[in-house]
Amino acid sequence: MNALIVTAVLGVMMMFSSIVLKRNSAIRMLAIVGLLFTFIANVLDSSGVHFFSINIKGMMHFDQFAYFFISISIFCTFIFFLLSAKEMERIGVNYSEYFALIFFILCGIILVASFTSLLILFLGIEIISIPLYILTGSDKKNLKSNEASLKYFLLGAFSTGIMLMGIALFYGSTGSFSVENSVVIAATTSPMLLIGILLLLFSMSFKVSAAPFHFWAPDVYDGAPTVFTSFMATIVKAAAFIAFIRLFSLAFTPLQDRWQLIVAVIIALTLFVGNITAVFQQSVKRMLAYSSIAQSGFMLMALLAFNTFSVEGILLYIVAYSISTMGIFSVLVKMKDSSLEEFNGFAKHQPVLAVALTVFLLSLAGIPLTAGFLSKFYMLKAVMHSGNFLWLIIFAVLMAAVSVYYYFRIIQVMFFKESDSNTIIVSTSFKWLLSALAIIIIVLGVYPQLLLQFLV
Amino acid sequence: MKEFLLVILVAPFVGFLINGLFRNVLSKKIIAFNACGQILISFLFSLVVFSTILESGGAIFEYYNFIKVGSFQIPFALQIDQLSSIFLLIITGVGFLIHVYSASYMKEESSAHFGRYFSYLNLFIFFMLLLVLGANFVIMFIGWEGVGLCSYLLIGYWFKNTEYNYAARKAFVMNRIGDLGFLIAIFWLIAKLDTTSFSIIFSNESLAKLSTLDITAITLLLFVGATGKSAQIPLYTWLPDAMAGPTPVSALIHAATMVTAGVYLVARCNVLYSLAPITQTIIVCIGLATAILAATIALKQNDIKKILAYSTVSQLGFMFFALGLGAYTAAVFHVITHAFFKALLFLGSGSVIHAMGGEQDIRKMGGLSKKLKITYWTFFIGCLAIAGIPPFSGFFSKDAILVSAFAKSPALYFMVLLGALLTAFYMFRLLFITFSGSFRGTKEQQQHLHESPAVMTLPLIILAILSLVAGVIGIPDVLLNGGDKLSEFLSPIIFVNNEHQLSHSTEYLLMGLSTILIIGVIVVAWVLFKKYKTTETVGIGKFFENKWYVDELYNKTIVNSINKLAKICNDIIEKSGIDAVVNGVGRLVHYGSRQLRLLQSGQVGNYILVMVLCMVLVFSFQFIFKK
Repeated sequence: MNALIVTAVLGVMMMFSSIVLKRNSAIRMLAIVGLLFTFIANVLDSSGVHFFSINIKGMMHFDQFAYFFISISIFCTFIFFLLSAKEMERIGVNYSEYFALIFFILCGIILVASFTSLLILFLGIEIISIPLYILTGSDKKNLKSNEASLKYFLLGAFSTGIMLMGIALFYGSTGSFSVENSVVIAATTSPMLLIGILLLLFSMSFKVSAAPFHFWAPDVYDGAPTVFTSFMATIVKAAAFIAFIRLFSLAFTPLQDRWQLIVAVIIALTLFVGNITAVFQQSVKRMLAYSSIAQSGFMLMALLAFNTFSVEGILLYIVAYSISTMGIFSVLVKMKDSSLEEFNGFAKHQPVLAVALTVFLLSLAGIPLTAGFLSKFYMLKAVMHSGNFLWLIIFAVLMAAVSVYYYFRIIQVMFFKESDSNTIIVSTSFKWLLSALAIIIIVLGVYPQLLLQFLV
Repeated sequence: MKEFLLVILVAPFVGFLINGLFRNVLSKKIIAFNACGQILISFLFSLVVFSTILESGGAIFEYYNFIKVGSFQIPFALQIDQLSSIFLLIITGVGFLIHVYSASYMKEESSAHFGRYFSYLNLFIFFMLLLVLGANFVIMFIGWEGVGLCSYLLIGYWFKNTEYNYAARKAFVMNRIGDLGFLIAIFWLIAKLDTTSFSIIFSNESLAKLSTLDITAITLLLFVGATGKSAQIPLYTWLPDAMAGPTPVSALIHAATMVTAGVYLVARCNVLYSLAPITQTIIVCIGLATAILAATIALKQNDIKKILAYSTVSQLGFMFFALGLGAYTAAVFHVITHAFFKALLFLGSGSVIHAMGGEQDIRKMGGLSKKLKITYWTFFIGCLAIAGIPPFSGFFSKDAILVSAFAKSPALYFMVLLGALLTAFYMFRLLFITFSGSFRGTKEQQQHLHESPAVMTLPLIILAILSLVAGVIGIPDVLLNGGDKLSEFLSPIIFVNNEHQLSHSTEYLLMGLSTILIIGVIVVAWVLFKKYKTTETVGIGKFFENKWYVDELYNKTIVNSINKLAKICNDIIEKSGIDAVVNGVGRLVHYGSRQLRLLQSGQVGNYILVMVLCMVLVFSFQFIFKK
């Protein structure tokens, strides 16, 4: 509860900060300090120090998992700020407002991580989505950005409609918004409930960009300013996953046989479309958009098996995926455009960054000794333990093999191609930060308990 | 004791790390000091350990669990007993002398290469120690492999010379062929007995579990491993080529230590071998054949190191011959004396090569005894020792082998005596051609001739003394009652067969016969070669000079057929099979990617259409087909 209110207040504060603070660096500092404060507030909250005492009428419940996930989100946002907050200056003049929107999104993330009522879920999803529509279109003079924003809004509205319809049917058949197994059990036979659940499944699949509801993702990720793509594709996406899993594990397990096969098919489709399409992309940004779709396929596996492996796996996955993707984006932001040629000979000019990027790419590809490998392994193990869907595991591994192709292409051009263009300029602290992130990826790949011990 | 063993083992490894890592920083003096010092530490501790063994016998120490799989485990354990303590002393003692010698011999090298050389040398000692100290087959195998690796590195030490690299590769491949046998033997033992520890395998309960077939197969496979390391037929051809390495390396690896690993292995497993008569017969045959074949080749070689190399192969043949006869002690005895005189001969040849400015062809030498006094006399002692003239050490060890041969059958005795005579002949041919007569090299070389510095001659002198006196540890009972200290010392480990005791008079007769014949051969060599002139070899000599054309035979049959097979695999299976499939998958994915990309049309209407169609599909599946 602490973090929720703090982020909301901070969002409002950031909105007005530009009146008081004239310099961008001051605004940035305020945001970073505010974020740190939020983090502390959340940690205190999880250890029993509550700043506010509000009766939420049982519509939200903060359990250890929720606290942990919120901490991870704030931490990742913190890294995002350190890596890329400066780059936001280049997008437009409304510097402080971008921060305000990001804080509002965080607010929504906290809601979706802790809801126990479908109303809160809906609220959270919308609080996340609407600022994202704005951020996508924040590069006002860029036609692509505008187009992306409009598309995102149209398709988002479509999925919101489906979600609302699902919630309505759920309410109609159970008479409750409460996300509990008992509510569902009381009405298992109702076809209306099943339709409701399926509609919720579709709309959530849309939010996590799972095929065949993924169409918005490549266009939006490509059109949005790269800085915000980086935020959208990682932290926001992770929140959508948590909401998805929370919803289905808390409430819909009694009807598991009716929807699990559909989820498995969606996963297979997502892996297929994401990986195969990524192969042909010439723009790194667009390639990463498809890669993010492909990674969703793996993360969705948590829905097929609710056991300790999937819980630990999804958290590890989120951290590994978010850090790696943000790291790559943070370098991409600094480049002239996002074509593959920009990376030609990168290793010669920026050896440190090239090595860090290599670690991130290896992690995304799931090469052992990186966190990416272990998280994929955990997900596959979780599914294996549930006993079904052996075909899916085999398919997923094959698709992971395909992914190696497009991740390694970047590594290849970085190290083995001659560069002709002039290189990017980065500060020493940026190099340090990126190296530290690469080390985190490797450490978690060897010793994941370092992270997962907090979950107990 | 437990800690002492660890120090013995770790000291050379520390030396390897220091010299290997800091070879670009350290000066040559420090590198040499470090390398020699570490071996000296090992040697001193080995002495301590040896004295403890003399008093209290052997022991096994477990350090930690090396591999643990289910109920099966392999501890990291070291075993010190009479047999391994003798090897410890040889390895560290002779090793130390060779290190000291190397410090001077290699001083022309640049500092970084100098460091590389000594780090390899130290690493070699480490692995060799691991080999003899291991208390089970796996630890022994680690050392076994490591020794092979170091030998590869050192033979190819001058890596800019392609020929030398080929020689290194050949040694490695030949060794690997042998290692395969060793490995299969280990797996066989694991499958049958669920352990690799010597102490358990050689116990009566374990032996009872093995059938005759098991024992014969295992011993044969281990022997295959031994033929690789110890250069026996058919895997001996790498050893003469291994002379590509620096001369001290030849002395250390290809004479005194590594090649004796096979002998050690068989001696260590003597309990098994004594139960496998078929294997023993095979070993006798191969040992004898190797001894004589290599000796005939050595007769006609002109490269000073090649002659010594073939002589090593031949001497190893003698050792295996003894092992096959069940005379394990005689074999170990010959290992000891051979380590001294062969190291001496190699280092002596190094000194000659050094003086000749890198020349190795004895036809271009001659008359060196005047300029290289110390080298000449020590080399002379080495020749007397290897020829088996009393009272030099070689006499006693060779006599032990000859006697056990005679005890088996007089025919074997005469064959092995022939080998011994050939040995005497080619060694003295080498001695006379090199050191007597007049100088046949260039004027420059004659100007350049000089005795080596003290750092190099001192090891020669020490080794010469050892070659002279080392025989005292195994004086046969006929000459001195209770003189055979070695058999007594090794008796806890090595099973002694006392069935064929020869009468004293027979033994005297044999000794006298062999000594007289050998002296006769030396005289013949003196007459033939005191004034050597280069002549063309013809007939059977040509055959020997070309090493019985064994290399050519191997190339024609094995290497060529493997190459042909490889070409077939490459052209058909690889290119049109595997490559086609792999590239095909790649092309398919690429094609799919190109097609699938079109789905992303950019039209929002299309997107929504696809989504809705999919939803309809799911609903119809749920409600029409499922119910």
